[in-house]
Amino acid sequence: MANHTATTIDICKADELQPGDRRIVEVDGRKVGVFNSAGELYAIEDRCSHDDGPLAEGPFDPERRTVECPRHGSLFDLTTGRPKTLPAYLPVDTFDVHVEDGVVKLEVR
Amino acid sequence: MATPEVAAATPDQLKGIKEAYEYGFHDPENYAFKSEKGLSRSVVEGISSHKDEPQWMRDFRVKALEHFEQHPMPKWAGGMMDTVDFQNIHYFVRASEKQGRSWDEVPADIKKTFDRLGIPEAERKYLAGVGAQYESEVVYHQIREDLEKQGVIFLDMDSGLREHEDIVREYWATVIPPNDNKLAALNSAVWSGGSFVYVPPGVHVEMPLQAYFRINTENMGQFERTLIIADEGSFVHYIEGCTAPQYTTDSLHSAVVEIVAKPGARVRYTTIQNWSHNVYNLVTKRAIAHEAATMEWIDGNLGSKLTCKYPSIYLMGPEAHGEVLSIAFAGRGQHQDAGGKAIHVAPKTTSTITSKSISKDGGRASYRGLLEIAPGARESKSKVVCDALLLDEESRSDTYPTIRIGEDNVDVGHEATVSKIGEEQLFYLMSRGLSEEEASGMIVGGFIEPFTRELPMEYAVEMNRLIELQMEGSIG
Repeated sequence: MANHTATTIDICKADELQPGDRRIVEVDGRKVGVFNSAGELYAIEDRCSHDDGPLAEGPFDPERRTVECPRHGSLFDLTTGRPKTLPAYLPVDTFDVHVEDGVVKLEVR
Repeated sequence: MATPEVAAATPDQLKGIKEAYEYGFHDPENYAFKSEKGLSRSVVEGISSHKDEPQWMRDFRVKALEHFEQHPMPKWAGGMMDTVDFQNIHYFVRASEKQGRSWDEVPADIKKTFDRLGIPEAERKYLAGVGAQYESEVVYHQIREDLEKQGVIFLDMDSGLREHEDIVREYWATVIPPNDNKLAALNSAVWSGGSFVYVPPGVHVEMPLQAYFRINTENMGQFERTLIIADEGSFVHYIEGCTAPQYTTDSLHSAVVEIVAKPGARVRYTTIQNWSHNVYNLVTKRAIAHEAATMEWIDGNLGSKLTCKYPSIYLMGPEAHGEVLSIAFAGRGQHQDAGGKAIHVAPKTTSTITSKSISKDGGRASYRGLLEIAPGARESKSKVVCDALLLDEESRSDTYPTIRIGEDNVDVGHEATVSKIGEEQLFYLMSRGLSEEEASGMIVGGFIEPFTRELPMEYAVEMNRLIELQMEGSIG
């Protein structure tokens, strides 16, 4: 969005985030989960929109590209940030994540 | 739409209602299988083995048990849920090895029970399909042939999983995930029976489908699981009723009901809950209404020791509509913690929640509700009405309404009243020749009339009978 400045940070070396791995990082006071699903990287806000509890530490299904809220079980689509099951119904933010020069880089707006 | 006429109970129908809880009888046990008391991984896996389930369902159950063990007990109902002893419950009781497609195939003593409850007769007269669950599993199931030919699926949940695994898996636990709350986790771990309903696009099931749930064993846990999917533009009315014998020790009923109303569909779910006063009734019911769909919960709670039940509707598509109409009658030793929830997610969605409670002889009734309007659900409308009637000084009524509004352009109303039966009202009716008891009964009948008028006539008559039974001895 135009009124936000993007911050790009290095997460780790690309080979330190293998398929099925995840990292939770903090950027400008916001927590973000970075996931490797079968070689594809996804980054999603570490906050369940149901009750604002942590999200990214929940069960991660690399095949279905989902993470499940550890508190009440809403399943979030890592590709869109949208919940696939209740009780959450609002999407959470997703972020651009890519590999550049062998380093995983996360762009947070 | 014209409001259906509700017939008053005839003297013949009222015969025998003074004989206390008339469904409190029990049958001798002659069962195919009964698990030991208590909850453990081996009990959970045993249920899955008995049903020969696919691996994903077995894994789902085991994971749900972990959630159950991790979740704290909810603090609803003033901590009364802490008195449930989960290790003093039989979690799986198989009453019969096979399910009947005709009543003649149902074991004689079980059939006799359902005869006494009037189920086969009701099926012949005015139902499109019937499922009868006795203990953990459904012993009888039937649907009218013409509906089956139109593609309507009405099965017990175990058969639904076996015969339509793809549809079940697509929707299973998407409305109520296993770790939504402790009781949903428990149901997910040990579920058995319940109904699976699928109505194809555009099909209207004009007569109701009925499920009847009966607990017979002492210290029994019944955990039915129901999934209803109404495809685009379809309509279905599902009715459930429940009874149990009166024992001195407690039984547990903890169901999960998930409903998906697709665009333009309408689902009505009616409950007449009449458990005996030794049953904890801890139920999670939730529906999703997509664009222009209508979801209606008609929820009558008369029985049980403690009921915690808050049917909810997530209005996910524009112009979806939701209704919760609930009554709760709390007599001596009873706590009815009921209510409803409407969550407006999409624009131009509408909802009404009407809750009516009656407390007498020290009974306690609560309304616990949630109305939420999410950001973006503009031009939505909702009305919440809670009315409580207290019949004596020792009874209690509480209201816990939560309203969260995240959008400016909406119309939300909330009304609540608490009243007692007035001396003047009684005097007026008694001056017309009614006894005090009859006069009180008439006032109560009028109070819950918005509920009874929504029931099919046969159920309205039954409801009036039950209210009269509850009112028995309430004066003096």
